[in-house]
Amino acid sequence: MRDEKEFIQQLLDPKTQNSAFQILLSDYQKPLYSHIRNIVLNHDDADDVLQNTFVKVFQYLKSFKGESRLFSWMYRIATNEALTFLNQKAKLNGITSEALQNKTIDNLKADSYFDGDEIQIKLQKAIVLLPEKQQLVFKMKYFQELKYEEIAAILGTSVGALKASYHHAVKKIELYVTSN
Amino acid sequence: MKAFKLENEPKITAGFKTPDHYFDDFSAKVLKQINEGEKEVKVIPIYKRKKVLTTLVAAVTVITLMIPIINNYNRTSKELDEATLETYLSYQSNLNQYDLIKELDAKDIDKLNKNVALEQETLEDILSSNPNLESLISE
Repeated sequence: MRDEKEFIQQLLDPKTQNSAFQILLSDYQKPLYSHIRNIVLNHDDADDVLQNTFVKVFQYLKSFKGESRLFSWMYRIATNEALTFLNQKAKLNGITSEALQNKTIDNLKADSYFDGDEIQIKLQKAIVLLPEKQQLVFKMKYFQELKYEEIAAILGTSVGALKASYHHAVKKIELYVTSN
Repeated sequence: MKAFKLENEPKITAGFKTPDHYFDDFSAKVLKQINEGEKEVKVIPIYKRKKVLTTLVAAVTVITLMIPIINNYNRTSKELDEATLETYLSYQSNLNQYDLIKELDAKDIDKLNKNVALEQETLEDILSSNPNLESLISE
């Protein structure tokens, strides 16, 4: 495994910065895309947010103190970017974030970058009804299969609280899918 | 109806796809954006500077709130304007014209002579038309 401190030094050193950032991009672009896409649902939006995320990562590298792992720090930036994007888009359309997500889910059937069927759409509709935190926990655990410890580091919550959140989320989703 | 249990079902994927070769040129796209951002001189419009805006709003608010106070201060100023003084002297005061005349000194009379410069002819007219001429002369 790459020494993270050394890698961060390479990212900060103007001589090695470009090559180190290329490595960072190739390591994280797919997992971060998937994380962002699960939040914003649409490919074009995910593309915008992913680009902004990497630009922010580059800009704030100097202030990265290494208190958390680079992985969780980047996921945190991506999560904030995605949530801010959703809220701004909803505000721009004069609707709530939940209504916006519902609208996007309704459009998923016609989305050429979505190959899910009825059960996937139903699952997305059930997720939208969850509180924001439960949505994030469920998506990170179920779709991205991140460990509780990793999710805890990203969201700054305890593992116990996350397990409870995930459990509640699963119960609500099962209830929704059963009754719809 | 059979209860739906996530753990009993085959894993449900999110179902999201990316365009072909999306990740091939993604890093180039990001690096280009970063380089362009570095070259650009960052211009921060004044309206985006929260601090400036807050100060501006605070200053305008204070000035607006002070307008009635300043107006009120001017109105309650201790200096009396001429009209008020005149009205007071005419209607409220016990002073009569004799009291006023008593207060006049040589300088004031001189001033009055200059201010009320009556022509000889006008003076004669007044004197000839005044029925109390005799009493005035005796005074």
